[in-house]
Amino acid sequence: MIKKKILAVDDEEGITRMLKRNLESTGRYDVRTENSGSAALAALSQFLPDLILMDFMMPGMDGGEVAGKIKEDQRFSQIPIVFLSAIVKKDETKPTGSNIGGLMFLAKPVRLDDLITCIENHIRK
Amino acid sequence: MVRFVRIIPNLKLYGAPGFFMSMNQPKHEENHSLTSGKSLIWLGRWLQPTGSRAVAMSVIILALIGAVSELVYQTGGTSFAWLHLMYVPIILAAACFGIYGGIAAALVAGFALGPLMPMDVATHLPQTTFNWVIRIGFFLLVGAFSGVISNLLNGQIKRLRQTNERLVQAHEDLKNAQMMLIQTAKLESIGRLAAGLAHEVKNPLAVIQLGVDFLSRMTPPENRDAIETIQEMGDAVQRADTVIKGLLNFSRSEKLTLVAMDLNALIEDSLVLVRHEFSKNRIALEKDLAAGLPKVGLDQGKVKQVLINMFMNAVQAMGTDGSLSVKTFIEPGTPGQSVGILIEDTGSGIPVDKLDKLFEPFFTTKPVGSGTGLGLSVSKNIIEMHGGSIKIGNRTGARGVVVTIKFPVPNTN
Repeated sequence: MIKKKILAVDDEEGITRMLKRNLESTGRYDVRTENSGSAALAALSQFLPDLILMDFMMPGMDGGEVAGKIKEDQRFSQIPIVFLSAIVKKDETKPTGSNIGGLMFLAKPVRLDDLITCIENHIRK
Repeated sequence: MVRFVRIIPNLKLYGAPGFFMSMNQPKHEENHSLTSGKSLIWLGRWLQPTGSRAVAMSVIILALIGAVSELVYQTGGTSFAWLHLMYVPIILAAACFGIYGGIAAALVAGFALGPLMPMDVATHLPQTTFNWVIRIGFFLLVGAFSGVISNLLNGQIKRLRQTNERLVQAHEDLKNAQMMLIQTAKLESIGRLAAGLAHEVKNPLAVIQLGVDFLSRMTPPENRDAIETIQEMGDAVQRADTVIKGLLNFSRSEKLTLVAMDLNALIEDSLVLVRHEFSKNRIALEKDLAAGLPKVGLDQGKVKQVLINMFMNAVQAMGTDGSLSVKTFIEPGTPGQSVGILIEDTGSGIPVDKLDKLFEPFFTTKPVGSGTGLGLSVSKNIIEMHGGSIKIGNRTGARGVVVTIKFPVPNTN
């Protein structure tokens, strides 16, 4: 089975480390982590992920800006993006993610099962 | 009189006990005018009989007239000094009952002394019918004159009393407004704090949650202690997240999306969402929704949140086998009418000393972990943003809590 590639972006290293450890432990994903928007953009062409998991509020370029740049680039515009955000409330989003204004959001703290369901629902097949 | 009032400064006046005394540092001038005002009010109150007091005053006046007449009889009408005592009950009657009281007492006094006439003549005093008429004339003059003064004084007292009541009311309003301002400021600072706090706390919570999930995957299922420990850690994260979520409710710039709608329909919608809790706890629902309620501007989502909050509080207070009554009503009033909802449960009620703390943020009577203490303060905020009001108290004559929520009906003019 070919592992799906996920790019996890969050300014908090603890979160990216945890995401990598958890998702890779399933044996289904290959996870690359970045801790800023610009580093994520730079990593895209080499890594070419099947899905991007990204924090929304980040210093420097925020999640929305990064997503905008990705969507503008034809090479990457088809990559699904899921935002992991601390500023949406759980009762505004389904545990497995909600579409808010055309963007997919998951509320932090997220449970691993819900995260995997969300990834499976949106990852490029 | 001013001195008299100063001697007893704690005199309670017209249901405003200690109102003037409670102002922190009254200005001297203000204090002076209020004190003389108080003296007049005190005098007026003392002299203005009502009900049984009027009967007692009348008896006293008649007894005085009788006593003076008896004195005049006893002296055979020889002493004019006793005669002058008759002015006492006449003035007293005028002071108590105004001009009519004064005139009535003068006539009674005049006729009471009427039978003296022959005796007057017999005792060679220069008493004649003419003198008697003159005497009644003087009585009437004094009675009427003191009556007019008494009436004027009472009018003044009435106006002072009204002013006093208005002052008390204004002071109450001011105090309430001040309390509301303090409360609003408190909520706003909590809101600002919450937004920052939520973001800062949710990230570490996310790390812990993912860590807990990782550990639970890595731990062999036969290591039950470890699995249980990890499970408890996960629950703790969810609890912390619930508190943060409650806090976030404050931090939103709460803008309402008002739609003119039927309160009854909204209640029905909200009840659907808690129906499961009702049946699970065997709670009977009594609905009495008034027909033809005028539509009010409501933010459907937020008001539903409030109603569900109230219903769930009631369910938690009742445990099992309770009964919840939901009524709606129209209330006429100034400036406009309002529609309201009355929710009554059969739970344990609220301790009296806790009643005034209910709407304070972070106040809760629920066990640690089962309530954030923010539900009611958020609810109150939402209702007040609609221009409405919410009151929570204990039912009278039965166990349980009664919640009254009112929304103003928009003026169609």
